[in-house]
Amino acid sequence: MSSAVRNLSISQTVAEAIGLEMERDENVMVMGEDVGKIGGVFGATRTLQKRFGDKRVRDTPISEMAFTGMGVGLAMAGLRPIVEIMFVDFIGVCLEQVYNAMAKIPYMSGGNVRVPMVIKTAGGCIGSAAQHSQCLWGLFAHLPGMKVVAPSSPFDHKGLLSAAIRSDDPVVYIEHKALLLKKAETFLNGGHVPEERYAIPLGKAKVVREGSDLTLATLSASVEYALEVSEDLAREGIDLEIVDLRTVVPLDSETVAASVSKTGRLLVVDEDYLSFGLSGELVTRVIEALGPGGLKQVARHAVPDVPIPAALSLEEAVVPGPASIAQAVRELAAVS
Amino acid sequence: MTRLERFRAMLTLRHFDEACLEGVPTGEIHGELHTGIGQEAIGAGMMESLQPGDAVVSTHRNHYHALAAGVPMKPMLAEIFEKASGLCRGRGGHMHLFDAEHNFSCSGIVGASLPVALGYAYSFSMKGQNNLAVGVTGDGGANNGAFHECLNIAGAWKLPLVVLVENNELAISVPIGDVSATATIAERACAYGAWGKKVDGTDVDIVAEAFAEAAHHARSGRGPAILEASCHRFRGHFEGDHDSYRTMKEKREMRERHDPITIARRKLLAEGLAGEAELDAMAEASQREMAELLAEVRAEPLPEAAGALDYLFVGGKR
Ligand SMILES: Cc1ncc(C[n+]2csc(CCOP(=O)(O)OP(=O)(O)O)c2C)c(N)n1
Repeated sequence: MSSAVRNLSISQTVAEAIGLEMERDENVMVMGEDVGKIGGVFGATRTLQKRFGDKRVRDTPISEMAFTGMGVGLAMAGLRPIVEIMFVDFIGVCLEQVYNAMAKIPYMSGGNVRVPMVIKTAGGCIGSAAQHSQCLWGLFAHLPGMKVVAPSSPFDHKGLLSAAIRSDDPVVYIEHKALLLKKAETFLNGGHVPEERYAIPLGKAKVVREGSDLTLATLSASVEYALEVSEDLAREGIDLEIVDLRTVVPLDSETVAASVSKTGRLLVVDEDYLSFGLSGELVTRVIEALGPGGLKQVARHAVPDVPIPAALSLEEAVVPGPASIAQAVRELAAVS
Repeated sequence: MTRLERFRAMLTLRHFDEACLEGVPTGEIHGELHTGIGQEAIGAGMMESLQPGDAVVSTHRNHYHALAAGVPMKPMLAEIFEKASGLCRGRGGHMHLFDAEHNFSCSGIVGASLPVALGYAYSFSMKGQNNLAVGVTGDGGANNGAFHECLNIAGAWKLPLVVLVENNELAISVPIGDVSATATIAERACAYGAWGKKVDGTDVDIVAEAFAEAAHHARSGRGPAILEASCHRFRGHFEGDHDSYRTMKEKREMRERHDPITIARRKLLAEGLAGEAELDAMAEASQREMAELLAEVRAEPLPEAAGALDYLFVGGKR
């Protein structure tokens, strides 16, 4: 493997993964709004249409129900479609094909039919309020039959996408809007992206910072936020262990439980809505694994069950960011 | 409205969106902003046919339709600038403007406007009100399934729905010609027993006349109307869009040839309805008023963080 950091944006690592998988397997194709001629609104499919032609890299009309369902049919017909839903917030218009077809057909068919399809979409807060700044990974995770991936680092974006494309199960791959244009060298974690093709197995969390006082489990952009504040917190005497979950389904609660059995404290940071989602699920699984007496303290820091407001002053009050994460850590560490 | 009033209305719309542009580099508008610059003739043209009680449901590119529907300018600008005094107390922002008094709403989700407009149309029909609902869509939004579902229902039940299609020929980078089975959107009307017409949406007089016709059709109980107005989006899809799918030459020519304000000005002068000096003075006054409004709005405070959980449910926080 080459060792110098290539200063790619996350979008470029994504496009690179798709390009390599398209070279490897002629059944891999991409469909979605603006993915062809301009190579995606964030550039995550740039150059692919030139290289692979407009049949395999298709600009679609704004007809998500049709082209998401097409993805299901294409997958059943033997292809490996990557369907881009520009922002995850738009999934409402085609959720039918996602959860009743894509996710259920493998099971309903008694395993006879495979739907090797990827929904690639951008989630997370980008300052554009209630209908354009959600995460929604908890929604997909709640509905059985889909693997759900939300990468944090440049290295993971490439490797997890390759794994998603090769997976014979349907996968929802959720990038973070605020990371897509961020450059590899600005990342505290996983900035090195090898040029060659590689896949990271789905369902394996990664300890991105070792520490002894408190386990902070999170994913997507919040991993960087947590790393950003971890050194300040260390100076204050709180030594964080940070676990990047990488995938929500499968959820690697074993890695988290192992960390908590060492630190005794668990903080789950989730940019998705608080209730009935990832944070509650993960805490429950850790308690199930360690027993009710297995941890000293537990807390969750997530969007407090309101739509994302427009004004920056309100957004900062509800969406986890570096400052609020540090505050949540301090509060949890202060409880003895 | 007189011809001159239509011209003045277009100036107001243009200057409103130019005021919004000022909030982007400063971060006062910290999310996406989609302006209607270049498409003023449509908003200004629909204004005079709307009556009290009518509903307008718009899109992500909604400012001109909101102003046409009578949404007051100051709280609207304040909402776009994320202020506590905004129309939605800073919760909604530019893509989510709601004014119950003027039956105006919108959605940042493409295709999501028409179903809500259909609801208003049904309510007007049920209550025997002589009102209509306007559902706005871009050409891109007309390819969403909701377009078909809504027009089918409105056609079957003869509901007073006007579907206003702003056809600027692009859905971000995707040309309508590549993704529509029909050459025009208006010709789909025959599938729904609807009235349908495509007009030059850069000429405010043509739009005003055509919208009046569409509105008359809908109000007279004969079912839905599709009015497709051709136009040009002068700026990128949103502020920050590189707009690399059009050449510089194309963009320059578009601004030179298809600016609805220039077109109207030329007509007013040619027909002797106004003189150069009068029109210049009108533009200056409009610009000055908008600058004053912007300054007032900018001085307003942001919403207080402590209220971030308010308004989720009636009468309480949670
Ligand atoms: C369901 C849905 N899909 C995609 C988008 C992203 N998007 C926002 S505007 C837009 C293009 C809309 O084109 P058109 O309807 O022609 O309106 P215009 O922007 O040209 O005014 C797209 C793809 C969205 N907001 N909602």
